[in-house]
Amino acid sequence: MSFEFHYIVEAFPSLIEGAKLTWYITIFGIIGGLTLGIVAGILRLAGTEAVGGESHGISRVFWMIGQKCSITYIELIRGTPIIVQAMFIYFALPMLIEVSIGVRGVRFDGLTAAIITIIINAGAYIAEIVRGSVLSVNKGLIEAGMSMGITRFQLITSIIGPIAFKRSIPPLGNQFIISLKDTSLFIVIGVGELTRQGQEIMASNFRALEVWSAVAVCYLVMTGSLALFMKYLERRVE
Amino acid sequence: MSSMIEFKNVCKSFGDIEVLHNIDLSIAEKEVVVVVGPSGSGKSTLLRCINGLEVVTSGDLVVNGIHLPGQKHLIRDIRKEVGMVFQLFYLFPHMTALENVAFGPKKVRGVSSAEAVEIAEHLLNQVGLADRANHLPSELSGGQQQRVAIARAMANKPKIMLFDEPTSALDPELREEVLNVMTKVAQEGITMVVVTHEMSFASKAGSRLLFMDEGKIAEDGDPHTLLKSPPSARLKNFLRHVGY
Repeated sequence: MSFEFHYIVEAFPSLIEGAKLTWYITIFGIIGGLTLGIVAGILRLAGTEAVGGESHGISRVFWMIGQKCSITYIELIRGTPIIVQAMFIYFALPMLIEVSIGVRGVRFDGLTAAIITIIINAGAYIAEIVRGSVLSVNKGLIEAGMSMGITRFQLITSIIGPIAFKRSIPPLGNQFIISLKDTSLFIVIGVGELTRQGQEIMASNFRALEVWSAVAVCYLVMTGSLALFMKYLERRVE
Repeated sequence: MSSMIEFKNVCKSFGDIEVLHNIDLSIAEKEVVVVVGPSGSGKSTLLRCINGLEVVTSGDLVVNGIHLPGQKHLIRDIRKEVGMVFQLFYLFPHMTALENVAFGPKKVRGVSSAEAVEIAEHLLNQVGLADRANHLPSELSGGQQQRVAIARAMANKPKIMLFDEPTSALDPELREEVLNVMTKVAQEGITMVVVTHEMSFASKAGSRLLFMDEGKIAEDGDPHTLLKSPPSARLKNFLRHVGY
């Protein structure tokens, strides 16, 4: 038994197809996760000193409900494995919909379920990254802004946001790489991403060494590009 | 003269600790009030109540005609008229000196970008930093940062300027440049409240000196008289400690 390079060459087109799908899930998952994470992160901080202190009147009730929702969401997602979340969205959600509102036949295809899972999963972790970055902004800078008479919205968008964004780049890079690798779990809901492609090729030729080496290299290239992009972004923000 | 800032029987507590104790104080327009006192005497808290960074626990506080207690929605109207300079400068680190100064006029006064830049350039020139306009705070010395911070606070054309130990974080040779700028501000006729340990500033630019001790105003009078012949042993003792 030797390392036969031609098996990799043969597998290459399928692996590229799988890698494309992996990218697709990752990109949409990250964009959605970032949006969800920023909203959940800010909601979680609502009314605290970190974002300019308590609100009053009706907005106070609104923010308090938002904060409770955000905490529930984050703890629910952080407390369960991503594979369970994927299974739930793909298999259990249609049943839940049928049981609860009596509508039958609502179900996501594998790819949609995969993207939704990444969005929801990454969103929870990104919310915590956002919270941490906002909390790291010096209280004195917030007071300096407030003492000028700017609105809370201006405080968040012009001062806290840009400073927190810069600090969030390294942990965000980390999360993006984790999310990319998490897409390999969608093998369980039949999405033809990179790992699934590898498995199918392996099942037909039994060349585990060549196939899994090639799959690993593909992942390394993708995570490496993500890491390079984040480095570039970090330097641009300097 | 009309009263610009008026404390009426103001108390401020943090939890069980009362930091300000029944403060009665009236500051008229164009007064330059220098507040001194040992640390923990409540000077900074007194200052921070004026622009609502601290909320008074009881009593009434009127700033520029607006009653502060219970009027959270008016706080921004007061802050627009009150500039503040902090001990640790707190320039916005992601903006250049010019952008820091132009920020207030643009966001708070709503002037055009071009006009805000013009205001900022003029002010930076006044504090002697026209050539540093495009530098980030991290590229400036402490004294330069504090001068930019003064320009930033002045950019909103405030009626009142608050200084919270503006020279305490600076080397002795950098203090002078900041104190000179502050003296200039005082000469422009803006109402000023300055918490400091710089007795030289009190006697040179101050029109009134407050000595705070244990949350109360222990002495209140003309800086020259108070510094030359301190009427109480506590003030005498304090002045000896700060090396005056």
